[in-house]
Amino acid sequence: MGRYLGLLSRQLRTSALLAAQYRWDFVVDGVVSLFFMATAIVPLFVVYGDASRPGIPGWSFGEALVVTGWFILLQGVLDGAVNPGLQAVIDHIRKGTLDFVLLKPADAQFLVSTARFQLWRVTSVVVALVVFVIAFSRVGRAPAVLDVAASLVLLVSATLLLYSLWILIVSAAFFVVKVDNLTYLFSSIFDAARWPSSVFPNVLRFVFTFVVPLALMTTFPAEAMLGRLESSALVGSLLGTLVFAAIARWTWLKAIGHYTSAGG
Amino acid sequence: MIEVQQLTKHYRVHKRPPGLAAALKSLFKREYTAVKAVDGITFDIKAGERVGFLGPNGAGKTTTLKTLAGLLHPSSGQVRVDGHVPQKREAEYLKKIMLVMGQKQQLLWDLPPAETFEMNRAIYDVPRADFTRRMKELGDLLELGELVNKPTRQLSLGERMKCELAAALVHGPKVLFLDEPTIGLDVSMQVVMRDFIRRYNEQYGATLILTSHYMDDVAALCPRVIVIDKGTLSFDGKLDDLVQKVRPEKRVTLRFSQPVTREQVSPLGQVVTCEGAQAVLQVSHDQVNSVVGRALATLPVMDLNVENPPLEEVMSELFARSRANREEQAA
Repeated sequence: MGRYLGLLSRQLRTSALLAAQYRWDFVVDGVVSLFFMATAIVPLFVVYGDASRPGIPGWSFGEALVVTGWFILLQGVLDGAVNPGLQAVIDHIRKGTLDFVLLKPADAQFLVSTARFQLWRVTSVVVALVVFVIAFSRVGRAPAVLDVAASLVLLVSATLLLYSLWILIVSAAFFVVKVDNLTYLFSSIFDAARWPSSVFPNVLRFVFTFVVPLALMTTFPAEAMLGRLESSALVGSLLGTLVFAAIARWTWLKAIGHYTSAGG
Repeated sequence: MIEVQQLTKHYRVHKRPPGLAAALKSLFKREYTAVKAVDGITFDIKAGERVGFLGPNGAGKTTTLKTLAGLLHPSSGQVRVDGHVPQKREAEYLKKIMLVMGQKQQLLWDLPPAETFEMNRAIYDVPRADFTRRMKELGDLLELGELVNKPTRQLSLGERMKCELAAALVHGPKVLFLDEPTIGLDVSMQVVMRDFIRRYNEQYGATLILTSHYMDDVAALCPRVIVIDKGTLSFDGKLDDLVQKVRPEKRVTLRFSQPVTREQVSPLGQVVTCEGAQAVLQVSHDQVNSVVGRALATLPVMDLNVENPPLEEVMSELFARSRANREEQAA
């Protein structure tokens, strides 16, 4: 365990060095990410800006803004910690350098998952906090301490879910030849998480809760923060996350087996 | 150290017929053929040996090497390296081996090689003191100097390859798998790499297997060669014996004080070239003495040289023969 923590800090150091190498990229990426975060909020103004529209049933503007805050936070996790690693694996498979990873005496999944981080995405956390403050001032009260704690637990589980989805996608990359578009596919599906899951028709809501569990990532934590998530939903989503993570790990091991027994 | 028995590796490959209609049809119904990349190879390699794998492209060299490293699972047969079954890829095994591929790199492209060395130190769990000592030795042997602190993308191919080798040796492996380590390098850099590999083998007693297209690499590094052709082993022994077996003739190069004609030279033996004041003859092993004697007596010889035919020629003849054999069998 200690060794893996050491490895993680080594990988983080590498990412920091890489970020420092390209200072202008840093600035440009920062500006672009602020722009995208701003656009995450705009749709809400479209829906709630006109008083004659009904808004989203069951969600006031302030409450829906909490979901947006979670979306920005998770988007930060996705772009900062998950997608860069996904891209690294796809590059490895394309260039045939995954062999080097597989020959290292450390868990291959750990090595590829921690290979790249976009550290400046930490800005998402700051922006999300600002959005939460605005949201709760609209709601007119501060969140309860226990509710915040529950939402933090869900943050951990949401991150694990996101990561497991990512591992499943990477595993697919071992079987299909053209994998470059997978990251785009993932990002565009993830985009649906900006809305409270109740905006979707029943079928999609079911899919986004149980198949591609986007609701667990943003709507559930937001509800927890607002103090209206049933504790059974909390426990259920934690268990679901663990099952999902186990499936992802199992699929990854299968995919690696397939790679080594077929690759040339 | 390395035991391989009846190793086979077959791939199932989707047959792709030409034409749009056939391509559409293959979307629904595919025909597969089995490609025998390696088809029943057996050999043993002792600790500390330097062995060269020779063979044309697609002969099965890299497949065999990757199977030994544990990257590919054999279709059948037994492979053991230092008591381990490679395909299990146990941490203990992986710490004993290294693989360098001339066409692929593990160095982090945008960072100095020193960062990759540090990363590998952490992954292989090498104690700091061992790491410092080993990096110093490798730095001296490979003359790395300040190279390790320059971003990899700014290094020349040769410099990069030296650092690539150092990165693969951070953990002091006992078995070295080198797949075309000198590909694309200029002649002087090839010599540097060869010297280093030989010295590393002598100093640390490491076992090494090398595949290369440059026969000079194999001639300079490997007392023993294994020839793989179409997935089967067609020769295993000393390089000199291979040359003897395929081309028992020697090359006699004669330089004259004045131009001579082909007719003057041809009674001595088979003429390979005859231009101006130089001729090259091909003479069977036991005839060399008498041919040289006659040449000195009858022609204005200034200088002469006797050597084996170039390895490239030996190999292409060997492969041409085995191809002819196969075609004969198929017919």
